Amino acid sequence: MTDLSVDLGNLRLRGPVMAASGTFGYGTEVPLLDRAKLAGMISKGIFLRPRSGTPPTRIVETPSGMLNAIGLQGPGVEALIRDYAPLWAGWDFPVLVNLNAESVEEYGELTARLDGVPGVAGFEVNISCPNVDQGGMYFGNDPIAAARVTAAVRRRTKLPVWVKLTPMVTDIAVVARAVEAEGADAITAVNTFVGMSIDLHSRRPRLANRTGGLSGPAIRPLAVHLAHRAARAVSIPVVGIGGIAGPEDALEFLVAGCAAVQVGTATFVDGNTVALVHDGIADYLEREGFASLEDLPRYLPRD
Amino acid sequence: MLQGKAALVGRRQVARDVFVLGFEAPEVAAATLPGQFVNLLQRPGPLLRRPFSVYRAEGGLVEVVLRAVGVGTGQLLELEPGDQVSVLGPLGHGFDFDPDWRSIALVSGGLGVAPMPTTAAAARRAGLEVTWVHGARTAADLCTEWEGDRVIWATDDGSQGVRGSAVAAVPDGVDAIFACGPNPMLAAVAERWPDAQVAVETYMGCGTGVCLGCAVPKRAGGYDRACSEGPVYRAADIDWPALPTHLHYAVSA
Repeated sequence: MTDLSVDLGNLRLRGPVMAASGTFGYGTEVPLLDRAKLAGMISKGIFLRPRSGTPPTRIVETPSGMLNAIGLQGPGVEALIRDYAPLWAGWDFPVLVNLNAESVEEYGELTARLDGVPGVAGFEVNISCPNVDQGGMYFGNDPIAAARVTAAVRRRTKLPVWVKLTPMVTDIAVVARAVEAEGADAITAVNTFVGMSIDLHSRRPRLANRTGGLSGPAIRPLAVHLAHRAARAVSIPVVGIGGIAGPEDALEFLVAGCAAVQVGTATFVDGNTVALVHDGIADYLEREGFASLEDLPRYLPRD
Repeated sequence: MLQGKAALVGRRQVARDVFVLGFEAPEVAAATLPGQFVNLLQRPGPLLRRPFSVYRAEGGLVEVVLRAVGVGTGQLLELEPGDQVSVLGPLGHGFDFDPDWRSIALVSGGLGVAPMPTTAAAARRAGLEVTWVHGARTAADLCTEWEGDRVIWATDDGSQGVRGSAVAAVPDGVDAIFACGPNPMLAAVAERWPDAQVAVETYMGCGTGVCLGCAVPKRAGGYDRACSEGPVYRAADIDWPALPTHLHYAVSA
């Protein structure tokens, strides 16, 4: 039996495949998944307060991908603690909460509220949020703002803190090093790419929000490159995400230097994708003669 | 909710550019309630599944009605008998019946005919007198398959049945209205019968309640999910001006 467990420093996972934030709800919504293969899940992004989200149209399919602008609709942290965390406490895989805020202070406040809540195993910080104090510039576009958010979260918890990086930067390595320096335990690479699609009947953007986040296989080679670049820049683990729909896709991220992966959009098409990816990775390792995922050689040249 | 492969059994044309496809999916057919939908996937094909109201669910078959409006529907129409798709369903919350009703009018426009045969059959089983009012632009666009006690056709040009909209042709005195069609038609239904139940169309991502892509704006504020709380709503509960009307593929209308 191939050993697929993954050591992420202060968090050990039973496998390399997790469910990505925003594609797995709060863990109660996705049907038809063999959860024995699920290594962990990241909750739908949460804010301190409830948010109703953006008006429709919210999603548009594009070639091999989809654009979404949901607007982080959610019930707020108190409802999450009341309705979902107690369920998570009984589950046999860790649940990380995806944190969202409009200011550095609010990230800290959100972390403090969730730290120590049974069922919350750690945090994934979404820094692709507009910083209200900086005229709406995204935290993740600025290594200094990204570092300050990481520090604010880090100060309030000893649980694992992962920072999910945006691809919309000139050099992801700079942001990766900045959040590593402030105590991030791992990096998730990458979030969606900002995109736009135009309706030629109305001659307006298809999304009510005008722009949205592009996900799905369309972004996979871009994401593999950015995850690889982040992995070469830091010594903390990198969790790869971007267009994974099958085991070969996940293995690309793993060989490119990632310690684990997240499956996102593909879950919308087939709720069991995480399990299929897990099984396919096991088959590959066995076929290639590796006793464990740890033995899989990573392509991380040091030049 | 079930997911599995289903083979195309048959295809028939029911109006200009409008086809009914039947898939062998006995378990899904047996579980489907009126107004529910299935989410179909083809490989190779577009990334996401395509949602369709269940037209009929009898004899082990799940039937859907569609017009080629995009790549996904175009590809479905190219299927040959025996070709397989993945069927996920039944999904969503369909029409609710009140035991006090004696009569009902089913009001459909264009592809909004989709949930009505299943619903008419269920209504008759429940002992209701069923009037089906169906409208389209012209006689050629009118799907004339129907079920119930009586049918009223309506066409914009008067080429078949009464001239005008299906909504205008609904007789007075029925106990309940179920409607499906383009969202502007449903907004007109909401004006006339606030308590009508309407099946709305939206873009959909997953169809299972996870992605929050199929947001339906509510009069009371906020959004819920066409795939889970819907697609059937009390007409007056929807914030109609905020619901997009121009879709490139269709759930049902």
